Amino acid sequence: MPPWLHPRAAYVHVPFCAHHCGYCDFAVTAGQDQLMTLYVEALGQELATLSEPCPVDTVFIGGGTPTYLTPPLLERLLAEIRRWLPLHASGEWSIEATPESLDAGKVALLADHGVTRVSIGAQSFHPQLLQRLERIHNPDDVPRAVECVRERIAQVSLDLIFGVPGQSVDDWDRDLRRALRLQPEHVATYGLTYEKGTPLWKRWQGGQVQPLGEDDELAMYCRAMDVLSAAGFEHYEVSNFARPGRRCRHNQVYWANHAYFGFGVGAARYVQGRREMNTRDTHGYIRRVFAGEKPLLQAEELPPEERARETLALQLRRADGVRRGEFQEQTGFDLDALAGAKLRQHAELGLIEDNGACVRLTRSGKCVADALMAELL
Amino acid sequence: MTTPTKNIRNFSIIAHIDHGKSTLADQFLLKTGAITQREFRAQVLDDMDLERERGITIQMHPVTIYYEFQGQRYELNLIDTPGHVDFSYEVSRSLAACEGAILLVDAFQGVQAQTVANFYLALEHDLTIVPVLNKIDMPIARTDDVLAEMQQALNVEPAEALRASGKAGIGIDEVLQAIVARIPPPPGKPDDPLRALVFNSHFDSYKGVVVYARVMDGTMRKVQKIRLMSGGTELEVIDMGQFRPTMTACNELGAGQVGYFMAQIKNIDDVRIGDTVTDALAPAAAPLEGYKEPQPMVFSGLYPVNNRDFEALREALAKLRLNDSSFTYMPENSEGLGFGFRCGFLGLLHREIIQQRLERDSELELVQTAPNTTYEILTRKGEIIVIDSPQKVPDAGQVEEFREPFVKISFLLPSENIGDLMQMCAERRGIFIRTEYLSPKRAILVYEMPLSEIIFDLYDKLKSVTHGYGTMDYEILGYRPADLVRLDILVAGKRVDALSIIVHRADADRRGRKLVKKLRGEIDRHLFEIAIQAAIGSRIIARETIAPIKKNVTAKCYGGDITRKRKLWAKQAAGKKRMKQVGQVEIPQEAFLAVLESDEG
Ligand SMILES: Nc1nc2c(ncn2[C@@H]2O[C@H](COP(=O)(O)OP(=O)(O)OP(=O)(O)O)[C@@H](O)[C@H]2O)c(=O)[nH]1
Ligand code: SF4
Ligand SMILES: [Mg+2]
Repeated sequence: MPPWLHPRAAYVHVPFCAHHCGYCDFAVTAGQDQLMTLYVEALGQELATLSEPCPVDTVFIGGGTPTYLTPPLLERLLAEIRRWLPLHASGEWSIEATPESLDAGKVALLADHGVTRVSIGAQSFHPQLLQRLERIHNPDDVPRAVECVRERIAQVSLDLIFGVPGQSVDDWDRDLRRALRLQPEHVATYGLTYEKGTPLWKRWQGGQVQPLGEDDELAMYCRAMDVLSAAGFEHYEVSNFARPGRRCRHNQVYWANHAYFGFGVGAARYVQGRREMNTRDTHGYIRRVFAGEKPLLQAEELPPEERARETLALQLRRADGVRRGEFQEQTGFDLDALAGAKLRQHAELGLIEDNGACVRLTRSGKCVADALMAELL
Repeated sequence: MTTPTKNIRNFSIIAHIDHGKSTLADQFLLKTGAITQREFRAQVLDDMDLERERGITIQMHPVTIYYEFQGQRYELNLIDTPGHVDFSYEVSRSLAACEGAILLVDAFQGVQAQTVANFYLALEHDLTIVPVLNKIDMPIARTDDVLAEMQQALNVEPAEALRASGKAGIGIDEVLQAIVARIPPPPGKPDDPLRALVFNSHFDSYKGVVVYARVMDGTMRKVQKIRLMSGGTELEVIDMGQFRPTMTACNELGAGQVGYFMAQIKNIDDVRIGDTVTDALAPAAAPLEGYKEPQPMVFSGLYPVNNRDFEALREALAKLRLNDSSFTYMPENSEGLGFGFRCGFLGLLHREIIQQRLERDSELELVQTAPNTTYEILTRKGEIIVIDSPQKVPDAGQVEEFREPFVKISFLLPSENIGDLMQMCAERRGIFIRTEYLSPKRAILVYEMPLSEIIFDLYDKLKSVTHGYGTMDYEILGYRPADLVRLDILVAGKRVDALSIIVHRADADRRGRKLVKKLRGEIDRHLFEIAIQAAIGSRIIARETIAPIKKNVTAKCYGGDITRKRKLWAKQAAGKKRMKQVGQVEIPQEAFLAVLESDEG
C-alpha cells in the first residue's frame, strides 16, 4: 500500500493547557482539568476503534499541552499509544511541551515509554513579548526545560514566534541567537497570525493592536533563514529548520501529502484519500466517543485533480520541492499539464526554480509561499 | 366614443423635478372620478417599479378624464411628464400632442432650471401656458417672491398665475376651469383624411407593441387599414382605446383625441416616434411635422464577468429595449474585457436606471466601463466619423479635426454662490454667455461647455457649491472642434483598451497622473511588480507602480491546517469574482470606473 493511502504516521491531540494564550486557535481546553481523566479514557476508546494494533513509523503528540497532564494520566496515555500504535524500532516519537510544564519526573516517563523528540514552545526570550503573547512562562524556564530533556531524550526542537506587535528585528535576532545557544536539533519559526475569533484578532479588529508591517515581517523571516543556515541548519520546509539528519519525520508526512491517523479532540486524519477532522469541543468529543459514535466534525474526499493540486501546493513547501516522477506516481497527473503555465510564470518571476526533474521554491518564493500556493490551487 | 373637438382640451403638466406634477395629476383624477378614493395612492400614474422606488417620474403618462363645467362635459387629455433633464425628450414628445401646458412652480423652491427650460419648450410648440404656483400649503412658501421670479424669468403676470396645492387639494377646480377657459380646443378637421401623431409606444408582453397616438384630423377606427407614412407600412387596427388611466377599449378616436392602438407590431423599432398614421384607403397628402428622436450622447461598455454570459446579456438587453427605444446597444470587443456591448444612454440617470433594471431582471455579473460622450472626427481623407468609444479613435496621424459635443447649460442659483460657480465653470472649459437676476438673491447663469465636462459630476458639484439650492439644465448645441487626445492606460506594459479616455490636451497630464494614482489604489498587489502608465500615443505621461507582495506566508501548515487553508484560498478566489483578468493582472470592477471619481485630491 502506497504511503499516500495507508498511514504509517499517527497524530494524537491533548487539548489541556494551564492557560489559553491570546493568539492561539488550536483545540484547547483551559480551566477544565477535571476532564483530563475522562479525556484520556475516551482517547483510549478512540484508539481501540483501530481494532488491532497498527504499526507506525512516527507518532506525534500535540496540543494543547500534552505534558500538562498529571504523571499518572500521561503514563496511561503513553501506554495506550504504545498498545495501539506500536512504533517501528527506528521510529520517531515526538511530543509537544511548554517550558514550565516539564520536570525530571515527566521527562523520565516520556523516555521510559520511548519518546525520542520533545518540541518545546519557547516562542521568545523577551519577557515583554512573552507577556504580549500571554504566555505564562519566563525566559529562564526554557534552558531549564532543555537541560531536563537532554538528560534522557536525544532530540530537542524549539518553537519561536516572530512578527509580534512591538517586536524589532533586533529583538528577533537575539531570540534566534539565544535559542541557538541551547543547541537544539531543530527550530520552527512561526510568523504570528491573527486567527479569526481569537482574543488577539478581536484586539486587532478593535484597533488596540497594530500588526507589524510587511517589511519588518519579511526582514525577520530573512533573518531567521540567514542566522539558522549560518549555524548549520537546513531550511527544509517553509517554517522549519533542522540540523542534517534531524528533520521531523512526522511533519514531513503532511507536506508529502501522505496518509496519517489522527486521534483526540480536533485531530485531523487522512486515510485512504479521505480527510476527516474530529470535533474541536472536548465535552462533545468525550460524550460521543463514550456513546460509541465517531466524534467527527467534518470529512471530505477531494476529486483527483483537486487532490493533485493540493499535493502540489503542500510539496512545494519543502526544500526538496516537487519531483515530477513521484508526483505523477502519487497523483496520476502530469505536473506540467496540471500547472505548467503558472509554474513557468513563477519561474520567470524568480519565485521557483525548475531543474527539469524537480520544482522548488527559491528564497523569495518562500517569502510569498501562501500567495503562490493560492494561485496553484 | 368621440367627443366634439370644441369640448376637448389637451395639455401636459410640466415643471422642474419634484415640483408636484404627479401629485397634481392625482387630484385631477380624483376630482373627476377617474379613480376612486379607494384606488388612490400617491403619484398613482408613476406605475413603474423604479418610478415608485425613486419617487420620480421617468416616462410620460397620458390619461383621459372627463370634467363637467357649466353644463358641458369636457374631455381632458393630460400627460404627466418627467422633470429630470435626461428625460426632456419625453416632455417634447408630450407637448407635440397638446395645445396647452400647465407649468407648475414650487412655492418654496421657486423658478428652477427645468422650469425655465420647459417653459421655453412649451413656447416653441406654440402652446398656451397656464402658470400655477404649487404647494401653497407649505408654511415656508415664498408666494410673493416666487411670483416675482416668475414675472422676471418667464414674463408671467402675477395675476395670471393660479395658486394650488396638489397635496392639500387646494385650488384644483380653479386650475381645471382655467384649462377649459384658457387652452384652445384642438384645431383638427374631423372631415379630413386621418392624420394621427405617434408620440410614444410601449411593449406589453400580452398585447405586443402599444402605440400612443394623438388624432389630429379625421377619425381612427377599429379594423381600419392604416398606413405609417414614413415607411409606408400598412397595418390593421386590431384594438384601440384610451388611458383612463388603465387601458380602456373604444371603437374610434376622433380629431383632437388622444389614445392608443395595437396593430400586430412585433418590435418597437417598427414604429417611429413622430410618425404620422393615416388611412391606407384614403391617405392624407402630407404627414405631420413629427420630431427627431433624441440620440444617445453618453456611452459605456457593459461586459459579462464570465465571457460565456455574453448571449444571456444580449437577451437581457433586447428585452429591456422593448420598452425603451432611447437606449442603444451594439456588440463590441475589448482586448482586456472580451465580448460585451457598447450601450448608449440619454444621460447618467438614464444609464443608472437601465443598469438597475438589467441587474434586477437578469442575474448576470457585469463589469461596466466609465461613461463617455460621443465624438466626431474629421479624418485627413475628409470623412466625418462619429465615435462612441475611446477605443475607436483613429491614430493621431489620420485625424484632421477632433470634435466634441457642446451644450448650452443654464444654472439657477443663489446669487451669493455665483463666484464659486464661475470658477467651477472656468475649470471645465466653460464659455460664459450671460447672467440674469431673477431677484436680488437668485440668478440665472448661462454657459456653453463641453458635454464631457458636465456628465460625470457637475450636478453633484453644483449641489455642493450651492448647498443644495442650485439647479441646472442643458441642451445640446452640436459638435465643436477641440484639442482632444486619447489617453491610454497600460497595466504591466499592456494597453487596457477599456480604460482609455478622451481628454483635452491641456488637461491630459493632470488627468493621467490622477488616473494612474487612483488605479494604483484599486488593483491588488500581485506576486510581481505592476507598472501602471498613462500614455498619449507612445509618450508616457504618468507612471505609478504597485509593489509586489514581498511576504505572504502564514508559516505553519500541519495536518489539521490543510483543509482550512484550502478553504481560505477558495474564499480568496471567490472574492475575485468581479475581477477581469488582463494579461497576468486581475483588475477589479472599481478600476474601470476610476475615471469617474470627482476631481478632488
Ligand atoms: N407640501 C406639499 N408637498 C407636495 C405638493 N405636491 C407634491 N408635493 C410633494 O413633493 C414631492 C414631489 O411630488 P411629485 O408629484 O412626485 O413631483 P413631480 O413633479 O411629479 O416629480 P418628478 O416627476 O420626479 O419630476 C413629493 O414628496 C410630494 O409629496 C404640495 O402641493 N404640497
Ligand atoms: S500553550 Fe500552546 S496550545 Fe496552549 S493555549 Fe498557549 S499556544 Fe495554545
Ligand atoms: Mg412626477
